[in-house]
Amino acid sequence: MTVHNLYIFDRNGNCLYYNEWNRKKQAGISKEEEYKLMYGMLFSIRSFVSKMSPLDMKDGFLSFHTSKYRLHYYETPSGLKFVMNTDLSVSNARETLQHIYSNLYVEYIVKNPVCVLGQSLDSELFSSRLDAFIRALPYYSPRAA
Amino acid sequence: MTDEVLFEFLHMEMVSNVYKEQQSNKMQMDNKDRAACVSVLESMGFRVGQGLIERLTRDSPSFKDELDIMKFICKDFWTKVFRRQIDNLRTNHQGTYVLQDNKFTMLTQLSNGKQYLDHAPKHLAFSCGMVRGALSNLGLDSVVTAEVAVMPSCKFQVVIQKL
Repeated sequence: MTVHNLYIFDRNGNCLYYNEWNRKKQAGISKEEEYKLMYGMLFSIRSFVSKMSPLDMKDGFLSFHTSKYRLHYYETPSGLKFVMNTDLSVSNARETLQHIYSNLYVEYIVKNPVCVLGQSLDSELFSSRLDAFIRALPYYSPRAA
Repeated sequence: MTDEVLFEFLHMEMVSNVYKEQQSNKMQMDNKDRAACVSVLESMGFRVGQGLIERLTRDSPSFKDELDIMKFICKDFWTKVFRRQIDNLRTNHQGTYVLQDNKFTMLTQLSNGKQYLDHAPKHLAFSCGMVRGALSNLGLDSVVTAEVAVMPSCKFQVVIQKL
């Protein structure tokens, strides 16, 4: 049971924050390319989902999974996108991502006079609180499944 | 709850606005510009502090002495404005007081240690002015400065001017 990594994108596609806890395999491309790839995929899949949905769409794209990991997606009304990869035992991380947004991002980034919205998140306070929060999650364990 | 956030955001914007205006005509800010910004913010706080005191003390009896006034600042005034009390008050009994707040509201969202330490003084200027304004309307002329070593704890030094 574990969290692998977390990305935060703004509405323009810039990756504001990335951290990993338990990543066994790297993508083999540079970090910038990886962020662009992730954002491009999210953008495409969201528009695909809204076009092809056979019913009226409520929340849109929420997550996908492979036989090894699940990717969770949460988008705020302000266009901020939170993407978290966990293992398969976590079925719904929406509340976790919502908590990260309202209790960590808003508290330590938006309310920080030095942090400019839209630039990458440098605040150590935010990083340390986020790290502590992830490690305290009931489904996190340092030994990857 | 929302009321507090309003003031926090307004204060953030005020500080950045004052600094942007001062910088608009030059490339780099030198120490003179920085001092000018700090004094603009401080004088804003002065007027706010004066007004606040009129409102906060309208029902209280008059104060016995200087120390009583400082205790009022540390307890009631700090509670009304920053929603907490001063953690430590020290004095040399000769007009100098040091007020220590271990979790100063303006600094808690900045950092938990040394990051952004050089940005800290900007956000203390307004509060220094508020304390000075409060004291002035209570009859005490003073000079208020603040220093930060490790955030979010900070020390305000009040020196009462004897006429």
